[in-house]
Formats: sequence, C-alpha cells, structure tokens
Amino acid sequence: MPSPAPLQEDWIAVNEVLVLAFAILVILGALLTIRESDPFRKLISLGIMIGGVMPFIVDRGLLDVAIAIALIAPLSTLFTLMVCGRGES
Amino acid sequence: MGCAIVAVYAALRVALESDTLRKLPFLNVLSFAVAGSIALIIPHPLSIVAAAAYFVGSTLESNAIASTFAGGLDRRE
Amino acid sequence: MDGTLLILLQILVAAAVCWINFVAIDLFFKLPEKGGVVGAAAIGKRIEEKGGGLHGGFMMGNIVSSPDASAGTLLASCGVFIAGIPGGLLAALLVYIGNRICHDPGYAGTTGCITATFIVYGFTLIGFSAAAFIAGMVIAILTIQGISHVHASRLLSRLWKVRRG
Repeated sequence: MPSPAPLQEDWIAVNEVLVLAFAILVILGALLTIRESDPFRKLISLGIMIGGVMPFIVDRGLLDVAIAIALIAPLSTLFTLMVCGRGES
Repeated sequence: MGCAIVAVYAALRVALESDTLRKLPFLNVLSFAVAGSIALIIPHPLSIVAAAAYFVGSTLESNAIASTFAGGLDRRE
Repeated sequence: MDGTLLILLQILVAAAVCWINFVAIDLFFKLPEKGGVVGAAAIGKRIEEKGGGLHGGFMMGNIVSSPDASAGTLLASCGVFIAGIPGGLLAALLVYIGNRICHDPGYAGTTGCITATFIVYGFTLIGFSAAAFIAGMVIAILTIQGISHVHASRLLSRLWKVRRG
C-alpha cells in the first residue's frame, strides 16, 4: 500500500487513489443494480454507477461527451419512471 | 482526493440504507462529490458546464424518483 | 508536511464558511417552510418518522430535489477555481437554468451562487485556494445530508424556529 500522495492544490492527473475510489463506485453501483428488485432502488443504484463513470470520461478530456451523458442519463431515468410509475394521484 | 473518499462513503451509505426515500440525500452527497471532482480533475472552462450539467441532471433524477415514489409524476400546472 | 497541514486547515475554514453561507441563504429564502415539490415533502415526512425534525426534513428534501444555495456554493467555487469571477457568474446562470428545469423559482440557488462567488473570490485574495472551497463545500453538505439525518434535521428545525421568530 503506497502512502497517499500529498494533497496538492494544483494536481491535474487522476492518481491511483482516485482511480480506485471511482472504480469502487462503478462496481458497487453495478452490483447493487443487479441485487435490488424494486425498480426505484435499481434506478438509484444506476445513479451511483453513472456518478462513478463520469470522472473517467472527464479525465480523458472528453468534456462534451460528459455533458451529453449528464443530460441523457436523467432523461432515460425519466422515461423509465414513466413506465414503472405507480399510483397516479 | 477528499472528494473521492466522500463519494465512496456516500455510496456505501446508499447501499446500506434500507428505506428508498432516505437513500436520496446520500445520493445527493455523492453527486456533490462527483461534481466537485469533475471541476478539480480538469480546470478547463467547459468543465464548469460539465459539473453543472451533471449536478442538475442528478437532482432532476432524484426529484423524479422521489415524486414518482410519493405518488404520481410531478405534473404541476 | 507543513503544507499539507495548512491545506487541511484551509479546507476546514472553507467548510465552515460554506456551511454558514448556504444555511443562511436557505433559511432566508424559507426553504424549510414546506416541501417545494411532492418528493421533497415525502422525504421530509419520512425523515420525521425516523425521529427527525419536520422542517429540517423539508429543507433536506428541497436540497435533494432542486439545486438550491448549496449547489450554488459548490458550482461557484468550481467557477472561481477555474475562471475567477466570470466563472462564478457563469455558474450562477447555469444554476438558474437548472432551477427552472426543476420547477423551482430559483431565487435561493442564484443568490447563493452570486454571494458565494464574491466570498470565495475574497478568500482567494487573502491566500486561500479555491480548490479548498470545493472540498469544503463537499464536507459541508456531508455534515447536513450524509452523517445523521435525525440530528441534522433537528438542528435545521431549531435554526428554522429562530428564523421564524
């Protein structure tokens, strides 16, 4: 276990700790999505997974792709909710 | 780096919380942490837009999930 | 080692400043009064069932379901970190658009973003780094939403009683 890098105020590249942390987010989100049975909880777990994916896209400099995904992902959630929405008030 | 640790902590709390509606505040913490990391990773003007777009998208998602879960999609007007 | 300690100290001070900024503006715009949308009210009631305060729960629900002053503070810190004052004002515009998307009038978010822009810029003039404010805001929102819903909502309810008089 290497000692964590000092917190510099001008670091740019994603270091090992960040890669590990966001990879944990992606894997945890995916596993939770598989495990849950309720559709709402599945959608929340998908939110974790997308949150973990975003920094990897940004790290490659694909900011336009990141913006597009940030806008498309909630829209797909909205459509899914329209299908599985329960109890019209 | 601190942001990433907070994000992992928030994800663990989401995973361990049993009530669906009470998961959402933790998901909000996660999206705060990820939006902060986006701006810290690449200091480029477009990354403000990326962080804002991710954050607004994530709140919209939470809003829709909470409203639908509480009964009916949020169709005011 | 000394530099790391200094940065940690900066982050703690920044967290306190951000916390005061967004809680004050949210209370000023009466976020804890009622749930703005159906989902926010439902989250508030669910937190109250667990033993928290109702109005604090409403405020937490409002923070979840639309970008309010806390989001404004975070994005203003990002904007100042990247592009100075113009970046902060761009972030304010984006927060306003986001508020309109989420069926919200958008006063709290935009005001919080603009005040946070000038606060963060002022702190950079005396030697703070704006990155410390991003980390500080993440810690501040963690204390509200992420540690214990019961205690945070009770604290916010108490502050709301003070505000209402």
